[in-house]
Amino acid sequence: MAWYSLTVRHSGRTPLQSSRNAWSGAADGVHVSPYFEYQRESDTLIISLKDDWTFGNAKELDDALRTVQGNGARQITFQCGGLQKIDLAGAWVLFRKSQEFEAEGRDTQFLGFKAAHFKFLQNITDIRDSAVAVQSAEPVVLTEPGRLNQILEAVGRTATAGIEDVGRIAHAILSGITHPSRLALDETIRQIEHTGARAVPIVMLIAFFMGIILAYQGANQLAEFGAEILVADLVTVSMLREMGVLLAGIMAAGRSGSAFAASIGVMKLNEEIDALRVMGLNPNHVLIAPRVVALVISLPLLAVLGMMAGMVGGLTVSVLALDISAVQYVERTVASASIQDFLVGLVKAPVFALLIAGVGTLRGIQVSGSAEQLGRLTTTAVVQAVFLVILADAIFTVVFSRLGI
Amino acid sequence: MEPVIRVSKLINHFGAQRVHDGLDLEVLHGEVLGIVGGSGTGKSVLLRSILGLHKPQSGEIEVLGQRIGRKHTGLEKQWGVLFQNGALLSALTVCQNVELPIALHSNMSAAIRRELAELKIQMAGLQPDTYDKYPAELSGGMRKRAALARALALEPKILFLDEPTAGLDPIAATEFDELTAYLHSSLDLTIVMITHDLDTLFTVCDRVAVLVDGKAVVGPLQEVRESSHPWIHRYFSDPRAHRIEHMERNRGRTH
Repeated sequence: MAWYSLTVRHSGRTPLQSSRNAWSGAADGVHVSPYFEYQRESDTLIISLKDDWTFGNAKELDDALRTVQGNGARQITFQCGGLQKIDLAGAWVLFRKSQEFEAEGRDTQFLGFKAAHFKFLQNITDIRDSAVAVQSAEPVVLTEPGRLNQILEAVGRTATAGIEDVGRIAHAILSGITHPSRLALDETIRQIEHTGARAVPIVMLIAFFMGIILAYQGANQLAEFGAEILVADLVTVSMLREMGVLLAGIMAAGRSGSAFAASIGVMKLNEEIDALRVMGLNPNHVLIAPRVVALVISLPLLAVLGMMAGMVGGLTVSVLALDISAVQYVERTVASASIQDFLVGLVKAPVFALLIAGVGTLRGIQVSGSAEQLGRLTTTAVVQAVFLVILADAIFTVVFSRLGI
Repeated sequence: MEPVIRVSKLINHFGAQRVHDGLDLEVLHGEVLGIVGGSGTGKSVLLRSILGLHKPQSGEIEVLGQRIGRKHTGLEKQWGVLFQNGALLSALTVCQNVELPIALHSNMSAAIRRELAELKIQMAGLQPDTYDKYPAELSGGMRKRAALARALALEPKILFLDEPTAGLDPIAATEFDELTAYLHSSLDLTIVMITHDLDTLFTVCDRVAVLVDGKAVVGPLQEVRESSHPWIHRYFSDPRAHRIEHMERNRGRTH
């Protein structure tokens, strides 16, 4: 077995200057930790490494090394003969510490590397020196024109496959919610921003216009009975019960349903979903469930904002065009608004959200093979999401009116 | 020596088409195995079956002594995969892509994680100015290198490469072959690669597995090319194969 020793001189890339000064422990005592021992011999600090310096215990190694301070030593010697195993991660932690010592103006030295271990440390120094050399020529991609277009469209799914996919989405949502992770949480928050926060202006704007439309149309009819003041009731009740949540739902179907299908579809085409799987991540947990949960959270909030914007739209028309004062309008609004109507509207939002997110992510997952299919399935996702939202709303309306709510 | 991957009696069929018909394959520790075959012979399906991304109709696959099935826990820490177009997550930067597996499978501090990721990216031959770029801002070759860095992030025992040189110009392809050979010699790696590139096959691979008639003909290159099977014979008697072999001999490389 060959033995090497080398002295590494660094050009102090980022001086991790340490101002710690207390030499903790006895001057010449041996300090023991699971991965190394160190002791002082005159002005040399000898750190003898042992056990495994590998990826798996990089954190422990780093934490342990942090407690070692040069404190007055001019020379640091890493005695490496006792190492069992070392890989690039372990070598990096070691190299990093030596760099820190160098930055403090101490000489560091590595002694007793076995040939196999030496390779790893050499790797690091090699790479740092040769990074420029390796990247000599900018790789040029030879594209294969129209290859994707040439791939024939996959055969349409059978009804059973469709049912299987619905089951998969349901399973994805359930298992995602029961397996929360940091990554899934981050993705959920990101999706709440995309599906919720960024949709606020457009949802409020269309609801405002819908308020104007309702008020005008209502006023024309009600004027025949001299009951123009009831415009406020009309706008309030329809906004709370129907329009607020329906407008938010349709907007979410257009914005988020398509975004879900497209983003997941692209990841599928790009093998990103496979890449997640081989890294041990379940796409259900980190992609699908976060999107569904995010929309279930953001759609009710959008619906509430839509309701308010619609009522403001009605107020605007009444004050500007119908000779109804703002005070009168607000009084009528307060008198006609009921918690029950509000809840009737709000309860639909999570259901709409599930339908939109479900159909969006499902169509995304069904993408396989071609870019053309991606476009088609994205369109399908939007059309079906809008259809399902309105269908569900119709069912809600019938059920609620039968129940007398 | 125990094989690191053992595939036995693998059967895969799509409709009436039998892609694998009792395929057996063993990958030995520390070797570079090249998988070749005509289109439709199931190279990708074989790789996906080994990775657990595709469930075969029947047959058994073991990787590092673990059976591939519904649950093969821990293997994701021991293998790295370079997909054909990289498959970097487009929402993350190059560095974040490489950090992701590290963050998933270790508890090291953010600073070390980042530095280790940078190291792997450098090792894959990319410049520091790529660290914070998004995959969409990189060329195809750079994306492959970044994806290779991600595949190496966890110090894997086995590295899978899916057509590593496809879509690269000859210079970039040669550089990538050199990188593969360098990584193989300096890290304790077993490499399994699908390739169409005869150059790669001659310069990097220790053994080849040719997929024909639903089975694999495996052996050192010299042995396999003597095979009397018509497809194998044609594949290796292609003028390009002779030219490359000639060049290799002149260069004095032994593989």
